[in-house]
Amino acid sequence: SPAMELPPSHFPAGRAAAVAVGYLRYLRGGPGRGLELRALRRARRQDINDVGHKYYLELELEDVLDKGRTVHCTAEVLYHLGSKSTAPDVQVTVQGELRSTEEADKEFYNGIRSLEKELVAENIPDSHGNVPPELEPIHLLAWAASGYITWQNSTENTKFHLAQVKHVKQVKRSDEDLQFDFVLLLHEMVSQEVIPWEVTLLWHPRRGARVSRDRRQPGHAPG
Amino acid sequence: LSPLFPIQLDFWLAPRGLGFPVDIRVPFPSLQPVKAHLEASGVSYSIMIEDVQALVDEEQTEMLRRSRQLPLDTNTFNYEAYHTLDEIYNFMDMLVAENPNLVSKLEIGRSTEDRPLYVLKFSTGGTNRPAIWIDTGIHSREWVTQASGVWFAKKIVQDHANNEGVASILETMDIFLEIVTNPDGFAFTHTSNRMWRKTRSKHSSSICVGVDPNRNWDAGFGEAGASGNPCTETYHGPYANSEPEVKSIVDFVKSHGNIKAFISIHSYSQLLLYPYGYTSTPVPDQQELHEVSAKAVEALSSLYGTKYKYGSIITTIYRASGATVDWTYNQGIKYSFTFELRDTGRYGFLLPAKQIVPTAEETWLALKVIMEHTRDNMY
Repeated sequence: SPAMELPPSHFPAGRAAAVAVGYLRYLRGGPGRGLELRALRRARRQDINDVGHKYYLELELEDVLDKGRTVHCTAEVLYHLGSKSTAPDVQVTVQGELRSTEEADKEFYNGIRSLEKELVAENIPDSHGNVPPELEPIHLLAWAASGYITWQNSTENTKFHLAQVKHVKQVKRSDEDLQFDFVLLLHEMVSQEVIPWEVTLLWHPRRGARVSRDRRQPGHAPG
Repeated sequence: LSPLFPIQLDFWLAPRGLGFPVDIRVPFPSLQPVKAHLEASGVSYSIMIEDVQALVDEEQTEMLRRSRQLPLDTNTFNYEAYHTLDEIYNFMDMLVAENPNLVSKLEIGRSTEDRPLYVLKFSTGGTNRPAIWIDTGIHSREWVTQASGVWFAKKIVQDHANNEGVASILETMDIFLEIVTNPDGFAFTHTSNRMWRKTRSKHSSSICVGVDPNRNWDAGFGEAGASGNPCTETYHGPYANSEPEVKSIVDFVKSHGNIKAFISIHSYSQLLLYPYGYTSTPVPDQQELHEVSAKAVEALSSLYGTKYKYGSIITTIYRASGATVDWTYNQGIKYSFTFELRDTGRYGFLLPAKQIVPTAEETWLALKVIMEHTRDNMY
């Protein structure tokens, strides 16, 4: 069937946009870049028989470290029919260039590599929303990792955000990647649950971020 | 001296010329060489501060202590920080004590853990005037809302004193403000779990605690849009108004009988919402509420450019049954709105404290639009 126009202010378009942004945040995010949705300009939905629901989106994003610049994107998000175990297919096209983070990336990389003791931290931000400046790159990396979780676990009935980095531990490696083992708290908007999620993230200035392992922590704290 | 001694001397009073004194902070490892040099050169010196670090440490401790100390009045209260329940309750008492002719504190009930449920009443007189109700903190983890509520309270008092802003509204209407609508949950976010949302009641034989106070109202209670599982965040409770935090407001609203606008404040997502959440049938006043929302959001945006979306609960955010403003609307309170304050997910519930005041300021502009529209369209 043909694509129907959706009101950008209604939640179905907003949820699909969050998936696209999460995906892009994972792909292009790093210790010096955090991509966020500024506005959803247009959304259409197409119901494809025996396949699923496909959303066509026009988005305006911004890098939280470069808010003066508008990043225009188009995206397609295909939620597979009846599937809770298959991630949506996402394609994003960014118009123009993102601000370069080459220097900040190199500085961060060298800084972490030169640490004598492996970095360990928790509660980022803290209860009052504070993030110590030296942990801001870690916060942004966690945000990129949460983009992967968002992308991989979203359905039309969910909307994920990173609520907090509960714990992070650097793991020194013999190869050139940096490794961070995170416990992230993901906030799911529809159920309002806050879900602990273990994520291992590898990062390298040229190769970018990759999730090598993730696991939703079992059980629910009763009170 | 400095070029001869690359030993990090820190001049607090720099050399100006012969005969003028000089103040130097000397790092510990350099103490002996510096003293030796001065003595050998016949330069007299005296020690002004034995241990600078000790002074710095003391200042740090003092600052920390001061930030936790109860302030003397609502002018020295720190609006740019998050506070504990005791600090907010103390603030309320100070506000009332400073403005006895405008502000009074009502206890409308007790929470599950027997904490008092306080509402501030702002009134310039009359008897049972038409009123505006505002509540913050019904979901305890949404800290920017209680913090904004504290700021609103002070703002109302200031406007009245300066005869501007809401002073004109107070000529004919009362304002009721419940700042900590869920004190048990709020205390729990401080002591145990910053992400706690619900009340702290225990009803069933389940080990799980708490009911979602925004699913516990008698409007589509128990229908789709809430959970029947006590271990979930949107558990509606065993029956409508099972939660004293909710029942106390229901009783207050019914016995007052003259509330004309009801605004319940949450975070986060940057939304202004009107009923319904439990059904996709639009409210009869949909068009007017939509227009008021548009105006309110425009006013909010005008201050810092913060973008809000608006619409009915069910179209804009999700289906939700048993929600506060669905009940208040069905009671006949036409101007029933829910806000979701900053941000859109970067910090979420953990909004940096430095955003408290800007959030409160911009939200206040939207609230004024709603209050003024209510006053000018009395029913």
